[in-house]
Amino acid sequence: MRRRMGYAVLAASALCLATLASCGGKKPAGSIKALNWGTEQEAAVWNELAAAFTKKTGIKVEIETAEWSVYWDKINTLYAAGTPPEVFAMDAPLFMDWYSRGALASLQGYIDREKGFLEGVYPQTLAAYRTPEGFYGLPRDFQTVALFYNKDMFDAAGLGYPDESWTLEELRAAARKLTSKGPDGKIKQWGLQADLWDIETFMSEVVWAYGGEIMSADMSKTAIADKMEPWKLIAAMVQEDKSIPDQDSLSQYGSDAFLAGKAAMITTGHWMVPSYAPVSFKWAVAPFPKGPAGRVTSINSAGFVMAKGCKNPDAGWEWIKYVMSKEGQTKLAELGFAIPTRRDVAEGPAFLEQAIKIDHKLFLDAVEYARVKPVFKGYDRWSSAFGESMAGIYKPGAKVEAVVSAAAQAADAALAGAGK
Amino acid sequence: MQGRLRPLGSERAWLWIMLAPTLAGIAFGTAGSLLASGVLSLTAWDLINPPSWAGLGNYARCLGDPKFLAAVRVTLRFAALYVPLCVALSLALALLLNRGLRGQGFFRAMFFAPSITSAVAIGLVFTWIYAKDEGLLNRLLQVLGLRPVNWLGEGAIFYAVTIANVWGALGEGMIVLLAGLKAVPATYYEAATIDGAGGARKFFRITLPLISPTIFFQVIIATVNGLQAFEYIYMLTRRSQGESTMATVVYLIYRNGFRWFSMGLASAQAMILAAVIVLLMLAYFRLEKRLVVYD
Repeated sequence: MRRRMGYAVLAASALCLATLASCGGKKPAGSIKALNWGTEQEAAVWNELAAAFTKKTGIKVEIETAEWSVYWDKINTLYAAGTPPEVFAMDAPLFMDWYSRGALASLQGYIDREKGFLEGVYPQTLAAYRTPEGFYGLPRDFQTVALFYNKDMFDAAGLGYPDESWTLEELRAAARKLTSKGPDGKIKQWGLQADLWDIETFMSEVVWAYGGEIMSADMSKTAIADKMEPWKLIAAMVQEDKSIPDQDSLSQYGSDAFLAGKAAMITTGHWMVPSYAPVSFKWAVAPFPKGPAGRVTSINSAGFVMAKGCKNPDAGWEWIKYVMSKEGQTKLAELGFAIPTRRDVAEGPAFLEQAIKIDHKLFLDAVEYARVKPVFKGYDRWSSAFGESMAGIYKPGAKVEAVVSAAAQAADAALAGAGK
Repeated sequence: MQGRLRPLGSERAWLWIMLAPTLAGIAFGTAGSLLASGVLSLTAWDLINPPSWAGLGNYARCLGDPKFLAAVRVTLRFAALYVPLCVALSLALALLLNRGLRGQGFFRAMFFAPSITSAVAIGLVFTWIYAKDEGLLNRLLQVLGLRPVNWLGEGAIFYAVTIANVWGALGEGMIVLLAGLKAVPATYYEAATIDGAGGARKFFRITLPLISPTIFFQVIIATVNGLQAFEYIYMLTRRSQGESTMATVVYLIYRNGFRWFSMGLASAQAMILAAVIVLLMLAYFRLEKRLVVYD
């Protein structure tokens, strides 16, 4: 989820006015900082949400947007300056980096006071924020990965649309047929855009579908190279079929060849739905194809955490509580990119009957066969090292075993150095 | 020449008053951050918890880290190409725009424009120029019947990024060198002309020696800028996950310090880069005695 483009940014920096409320006041008041990453459209929805919240509670929330990478620079700087925000958005895989450094405040006390607060929340989304000392964060929304396909390109190629019967072999065959070259020998259309840098939207699903693992059970060692079958499939698609574009090709289409009408399929999360809505071609979604070990997709969440040592924690909790409430989650569903973490909202009209008509339910059904995106300290560094080495697979004649083993080694080395 | 000017009487007080803001900036901003980086480089600091003493551990880690050593090589290689290109092309530009051409002011402004334009915007435009299949440059090559090049792919990216950086820096170099050229007294050229000297002779015997202090200054500035180049490199070589395909030392400092909670390590890398710059400066000043003509 960390790379989502449309889902990127929102950061709120606020004048954290010291609690103006009188000392005797029991109810949380004053104002809080609440930072999110996201786009300007997302910021508008957050501001709407904040306005409704202020009306209800009298607590002011200041929302500000920042692009994904700038967002983290900002949070880091606020911490370094000793003025961390009350609430900030957290990408689940990065949670351990913050929790393990003692940067976060425990939410367990608050949760205990609200009876039945976590009832009806998808348990898979809670897992990432649960620690031996209770919850240090809560999921705000979640994502599952599916196969998006360009109907027009399938029609033009005379191919049947992907459905739940599809296997990864069928995905490969279709991707090959959907790849075409122009008269100059250059590829004009790719079969499948697949991210071979971060594991979330393609690699982890394929590895799991072949019965492989990303990490050892204790999250201390990269297990990605232990099973080669998934990588042979991926390498064949990249090297033999040339149906998966490399980063150099992708970068000229804003890193999204599907959106640009240059790739027939892409595996990605629901967060791309609003971006794909205005395109001129017809598209639809299908479940992630099955492998020999069954069908697996990845589930990941964005959550809220509270900074330890922030000025107004009680008011911060009220904000988290509100966003997690039925009202808050319903409003958030209007953003169109995220899936509510409350089952009653996700399965209600706010999510299933959105303006953009696609099979939204598919993303909920995916929870049944989804595995949680790995969460461990040093994820970002690990992922960067792994992705950088994996880029070697695009080199002509590269041996897949060598590339994947080297990537796993680089990832382990990065993990060993993480946080020092 | 001007070195003999000395402030007199009350001028002395005014001198210090005028210099005070700059000196304060240098003392607190430059020296202060240098000192802070130096201290931080001896600690482990994640920006969240108080720094803890790490001795020379961060330095040892740098020297044993192939990624860092690769970044040092990339940085030096980049600067080795960037500095001469930058100085030579700025000088060529300054000479061209010092000949009293029609529209000279317009051209000077145009060449200076990159210096006052957002590097992010320029970087974005360059990604379109360099794009593999749809890029402007490759379209042009194809029109001319040449083979397209994957400019931002392995191999070519180094040159493509260097060219973009040089292009962005030409304006500033040109302005400085133009000022140098303007300071050469016209009488020298007149005398040389009377003595029958040609254009090339005048350039090598009069212009070059007389502006050598300006060139020396420009070499220093270009070296420092080259070793610390970041914006265009960030824009042109960053992958979607934030990693660079041409990671320089400054790029690693950014990643380690702000993304990976390793501010101590980032500070050590910054200190190593600073040491490299200082060493180069010492070498330059030795060369200055032989190559630069004063008076």
